[in-house]
Amino acid sequence: MTEAYIFDALRTPRGKGKRGGALYEVKPIDLLATALNALQSRNALPTEEVDDVVIGCVTPINDQGYNLAKAALLRANWSHRVGGIQINRYCASGLEAVNLAAMKIRSGLETLVVAGGTESMSRVPLGSDGGPLLSDPGLINQINYIPQGISADLIATIEGFTRAQLDAYALQSQQRAYQAQQEGYFKAALTPIHDRNGLVILDQDEYLRPQTTLDGLAALPPAFAKIGAQGSDQMALHQYPMLEKISHVHTAGNSSGIVDGAALVLLGSKEKGEAMGLKPRGRILATGNVSVDPTIMLTGPAPASRLALERAGMAVKDIDLWECNEAFASVVLKFQREMKLDEERVNVNGGAIALGHPLGATGAMLLGTLLDELERRDLQTGLVTLCAGGGMGVATIIERV
Amino acid sequence: MIKYQKDTDNIVTLIFDMKGRNVNVINHELGKAFLPVIKHLQLEKAKGKLKGVILTSAKKSFLSGGDLEYLYQANDPEEIFRFTEQLNNYLRDLERPGVPVVAAINGSALGTGFEVALACHHRIVIDNPKIRVGNPEVSLGLMPGGGGIMRLMWLLGIEKAFSILTSGQRYAPREALGVGIIDEVAADHKDMMERAKSWLLKNREGRRPWDQEGQAIPGGTAADGGMAEKIREMAAQLASRTHNNYPAPQYILNALAEGSKVDFDTACRIESRYYTKLLCSQEAKNMIKTLWFDFNAIKSGENRPKGFGKFRPKKVGVIGAGLMGSGIALACLKNGMNVVLKDVSKPIAERGREIVSRKLKSMVDVGTIQAQEMDDMLRRIKTTEASEDFESCDLVIEAVFENEMVKQKVTREAEAFLDDYSIFASNTVSIPITKLANASMRPSNYVGLHFFHPVDQVPLVEIVRGDQTSDETISRAFDFVNLIKKVPIIVKDDWGFYVARVQNTYILEGITMLQEGYPPALIENLSIQAGMSKGALTYADDLGMSLILRYENQAAEHYGAKYIQHPAVAVLEKMIHELKRPGRLKRAGFYEYEQSNRFLWPTLAEHFPVTKKSYDPQEITERFFFVQVMEALWCMQEGVIHSVPAANLGSIYGWGFPAFKGGVIQFIQDYGLTEFKQKSKLLEKAHGPRFKIPSILKKIEKDFDLPVNMPKK
Repeated sequence: MTEAYIFDALRTPRGKGKRGGALYEVKPIDLLATALNALQSRNALPTEEVDDVVIGCVTPINDQGYNLAKAALLRANWSHRVGGIQINRYCASGLEAVNLAAMKIRSGLETLVVAGGTESMSRVPLGSDGGPLLSDPGLINQINYIPQGISADLIATIEGFTRAQLDAYALQSQQRAYQAQQEGYFKAALTPIHDRNGLVILDQDEYLRPQTTLDGLAALPPAFAKIGAQGSDQMALHQYPMLEKISHVHTAGNSSGIVDGAALVLLGSKEKGEAMGLKPRGRILATGNVSVDPTIMLTGPAPASRLALERAGMAVKDIDLWECNEAFASVVLKFQREMKLDEERVNVNGGAIALGHPLGATGAMLLGTLLDELERRDLQTGLVTLCAGGGMGVATIIERV
Repeated sequence: MIKYQKDTDNIVTLIFDMKGRNVNVINHELGKAFLPVIKHLQLEKAKGKLKGVILTSAKKSFLSGGDLEYLYQANDPEEIFRFTEQLNNYLRDLERPGVPVVAAINGSALGTGFEVALACHHRIVIDNPKIRVGNPEVSLGLMPGGGGIMRLMWLLGIEKAFSILTSGQRYAPREALGVGIIDEVAADHKDMMERAKSWLLKNREGRRPWDQEGQAIPGGTAADGGMAEKIREMAAQLASRTHNNYPAPQYILNALAEGSKVDFDTACRIESRYYTKLLCSQEAKNMIKTLWFDFNAIKSGENRPKGFGKFRPKKVGVIGAGLMGSGIALACLKNGMNVVLKDVSKPIAERGREIVSRKLKSMVDVGTIQAQEMDDMLRRIKTTEASEDFESCDLVIEAVFENEMVKQKVTREAEAFLDDYSIFASNTVSIPITKLANASMRPSNYVGLHFFHPVDQVPLVEIVRGDQTSDETISRAFDFVNLIKKVPIIVKDDWGFYVARVQNTYILEGITMLQEGYPPALIENLSIQAGMSKGALTYADDLGMSLILRYENQAAEHYGAKYIQHPAVAVLEKMIHELKRPGRLKRAGFYEYEQSNRFLWPTLAEHFPVTKKSYDPQEITERFFFVQVMEALWCMQEGVIHSVPAANLGSIYGWGFPAFKGGVIQFIQDYGLTEFKQKSKLLEKAHGPRFKIPSILKKIEKDFDLPVNMPKK
């Protein structure tokens, strides 16, 4: 069978996803087009050779609407023969794009595919596309669909994670990310964003708070207590009646940050790479996608990872490094506990709590970060996983070649 | 049926006047009569011979709601939908651009009756505080279906419409004006007709906002970001309030959200489809059965001893000026009686008047009553420390604390000033009336009137018949309870009477589950999610475990050798004696109390370890329900309660049995009689004889009348 190789992975810096964030002034199309241009020039890519471009985007309306993938390709002056598709598996969209690209290649039907994702959360806020899971009262009450923050608190309640544990994890994310940034671990993948005059708008991640302390984290108010009291807590108890109440332990400090950014991964078959002089850096070993109870919603990473491991014929011990998206601290702690992982191997360069979570892009970013780190440490295997809305979870196992 | 009058200004007045009925009911009959009238109006309109229409009624009320006999039996979705669409079409014909229509609302207009008014371009109501208007369908498990939901949404926005439609409130004219569901109030009938005419002369074209380009729903549609967010909040609030047990408010919210995104006619069709689905639901049938038919059966006196004239008390004495006493006083004042409120000293009695006054003030603030009515009521209450002020009282009710000696003492003191025709009532919770009556000068005039706390919210009173209480006294007590607009149920003077006795089995079952190793939070959550108003352990704490144990001991005494000890008794004894946690009063029970918060006692698991690793929520819920049903059946069998309606309403109003099940006996029909019998056998086998069906069921099951062939959920 044809193998799917990774030739390159890059990303833009992550800007704070609100007015005043560095990338707020940048149109979503330019964010993605910049990444496409960088990918083309880094690999001296004759773009007409690319079979398809798969782009994850969670809120594909307005500035991100009407198939942003194709729009950005045209903006970036890629060959007209290259098509683009925009997909949405919520927070796992960027990784799903990579997995779809791998499937295209492994099927043998296509040989060179760009995958990735983009999200300008500052300009197109999460949920601004509406949708039944967000506002159809019949559906919401049929399935006890609650805001994700309540789901994260629900996980913490069931697992008994304390506020202190979550905050300690958040602090570690900040410290690890800051160290990685200082040491330049992210440099190779980063593509700065320039204005139309060539002036730099942003060249490194801006969401980090290296000055974070445990005291500072402890002082933050619970982020979801109010919406919980408005009824969502009761909805969680409908599904988990053995709990007395939901402990609201997540805050802005131990949840992922809202940011803007884009990321791309170049994948292809071995033959195509050789023909084009592209050096394979790794390959996709297996993928997994599952869905769990939509109320708790965010526990998909473990079953998705188990599925991918099973398909790869691997065990937990066979994975050198893990990336589990830090949607909320409890998601990662639950994942580590359930998979019995050594925390020194999980999210070693921090994660979305420190760096931010540009929804559609994050999966592709994590894959790139993981590959860079495997190379830096000279390790072989890694697994990326993300939880996603509706209860979904996606995982991908990669191996250096 | 519909009188047609046309004046020289080409204004037509349509007067609804259905033959052979006291009220105008919206049914097929009226629909049939309405169609030719509308056709005629359209013809006149086309000829330019019509300037406006006034809709009014020749009855005391304007138009009443749907025909509940029909609604209860209706179970053919096709027929219901067709009927609803027909009504929608009539109302659209009435309001579509052209000739303006005024609803001259001379009396109450509720439910479908108010939907007709909403379809008029202008609504004027006579300012009579007795008149009620609005769409309270939800209180019978129903919803508007003739476009009323969409019209309210277009007039007031999604949020306001939702809150009005799910409150079940009936508005007095001025309240209605404040809320925005009517446009004008008129001083009297003449003023109303003049205002109607003058509005028609000023407004030559009737066009609703939804029939105009560029008009929008106030506050936006469900497609707008902000409103979408609010709808999610409303959905969550609703779920936490109803635990998804009540389809009516859910369908109302769904219809609002969905209807806001489409044109008006499509929106009305969406409403009709939800209405049809709702009307065919078991929940709606249960609620109509109990809250309408059973309610009316009780209020009309099916259990009242026959042959005694109607008792109309003018002056009522109340002993004890605490929360209970002042609550009873307020209920009397609100219904036109004079009240003498006595306590051990005048200043303490005055405190009771202050409680009454505070309650009345808040009612004035909300607009339920007017300041003048409040002043009038406060003039009719007299506080005292002297029993002689009870002279000329038709009825005296004692609500002093639960002590036999004290109760007997105040009885004797008061009775000295009463005549042979007046009655004396005790508001005891647990002391037998027969025993208390021993101290009475006139034991045949002595009766129990068991009010529930808080008096202004619980619409139920148990009338307790002592051994010597006469039929006439019972009939008077019944008339009194009716007069203060509460539901009277006549009960036997046994332990716990009816309500507390059945409620006790619910509490004991919860405690038994704790003993069996179920997590306490699970017990509480599942009972609340099943629709009970409070968790079993919460009830145990609130009532106090000693009382619960006392009731069970009284049951043991009653049954003698036949009694089998309830597994919960050991837990109660341990909690009371060994762990010294008897309940909320001592701020220590199954719960721990901190200021206004309560949470499960963290040490509970040490004494009652959680051993169940998995559980079947349905099994737990059914145990809760079945055990109550069995006890209610025993109460019927032993003559503690005398009818199915009384048993049903007593359960809903008395201890918070879910209304969507229709009450404790209706539950059997809801569950299915055959299935109920099968399940009882299984429960009896697994948990003991408390789940054995009493033989009375055979007698009452033949009257079960829930429409069969209901569409499945």
